[in-house]
Formats: sequence, C-alpha cells, structure tokens
Amino acid sequence: MGQNEAVHAGTEDGGGDAEEFDPIGTLTLIGIYFVILVLAWVYIYFVEFLGRDLVIVG
Amino acid sequence: MHIHAYEKLWLALSIVLILALIGTVTYGAVGPGVAMVADSQSTIDAGGIDEDERFSEPRVEQVGENEYEAYVVAYQFGFEPTPIVVPANSTVTLQVTSRDVIHGFEVAGTSANTMVVPGEVSEITVETDEPTEYGIVCNEYCGAGHHVMEGKLHVVSQSEFENRGGDSE
Repeated sequence: MGQNEAVHAGTEDGGGDAEEFDPIGTLTLIGIYFVILVLAWVYIYFVEFLGRDLVIVG
Repeated sequence: MHIHAYEKLWLALSIVLILALIGTVTYGAVGPGVAMVADSQSTIDAGGIDEDERFSEPRVEQVGENEYEAYVVAYQFGFEPTPIVVPANSTVTLQVTSRDVIHGFEVAGTSANTMVVPGEVSEITVETDEPTEYGIVCNEYCGAGHHVMEGKLHVVSQSEFENRGGDSE
C-alpha cells in the first residue's frame, strides 16, 4: 500500500483510471470498527437497556 | 467523479449504521413502548406540599384494575414513603416531587430514573414483574447528606399487598 502511494505521489490524479489502489488494510479496519459498533449497540440497547427491570412506558 | 469501490462500500455501511440506530430506537418506542419522562403534570406549590391532596400524605393508591399510583416526596435527605410498597405484575405510576431542592429519583439497577424538581411533578409509569426489593438513590447532588439519601421500593405479591391494607406505611 505504501508503495502504491509513493507511485501516485508524483502523478496527477485526474484520469481516475490510474493504477490499482486497493487499501485493503483500511477496508479491513473499517470492517472491524463496524462490527464492534454494531455489537456494542446491540448489547447497550437490547441487553443493558431493554433487558433491565422497570422500563418507563409512560 | 470516480469513487473507489471500497469508499462506496464504507459510505453505504455508515448509512446502514445510522438507519439501524434510528430503527432500533423506533422499535423500542413502538414495540416495548419505551417512553420519556414528559412534562405532563402541571406545577404545584413546593412550599404548600402539606396542603396538596396527593403529597400531604405520600402513599400508594389503587386507581384502576391492576393500576396503582404512588405519590412520593423527596426531601433532604430521603424519600417518603419508605418503603414504597407496590404489588407485583401491575402497572405503577410514580408521581414524585420535592419539597426543598432538586433531587434525583433512580431505582437502582433499573431504567426508572428521573429528576425531581421542587414545584414540578415527575411522572413515570413502569410495569412491575416478580416480587423483589429495589433501592432508590438520589442522583442529583442535593446537599451535605446527599450520599446517605436513599429509599426503598418493595414489589410484593398481590396478596401481601392486600394484607398491608393496600397502603404503604
């Protein structure tokens, strides 16, 4: 990935059809963050919040 | 404009995430019926609580088929009545007010939690399950004795509630 960035650094990025640039590491990180966020939200909302006694209903 | 396929993917994921957050909260309101503490009650005279028909004598009252109302007064430093005794498997509306300063009313370990403001009546409706005992804490700093300000909420069986004369002491 670092090599690709170095290649691009000197060229104009106008055409958009430049060489392949696949930041798979970034994609993986975002995927991991996404899964953590979804699991944390499910736990916080459905288990910790709705699972408690005496939910306010009015 | 050229957008990389990965970028489209994580843009889509973030939109999905936002929709899911809104969706779950909507589900909570529609399904289990989660409500907010609303400003539904009119104001009262905080200095004249002794003449108020609800709060001059803090108590639990039956107001309908399996529906109860608890009138609770918070003060420096405690809650009246203590304990608040309510029957199991019923709908209980707690009306809480303060006769001095701002307090909190939090049934520890549950979602029942509201501010208690002098002159205002905080109303929360909850559904009780099995008989159990909860502690109540004040979660707004209210003075030198704030840390010892506590109450009790006892959920008792229907028969035990009737034996107590339908009232808490």
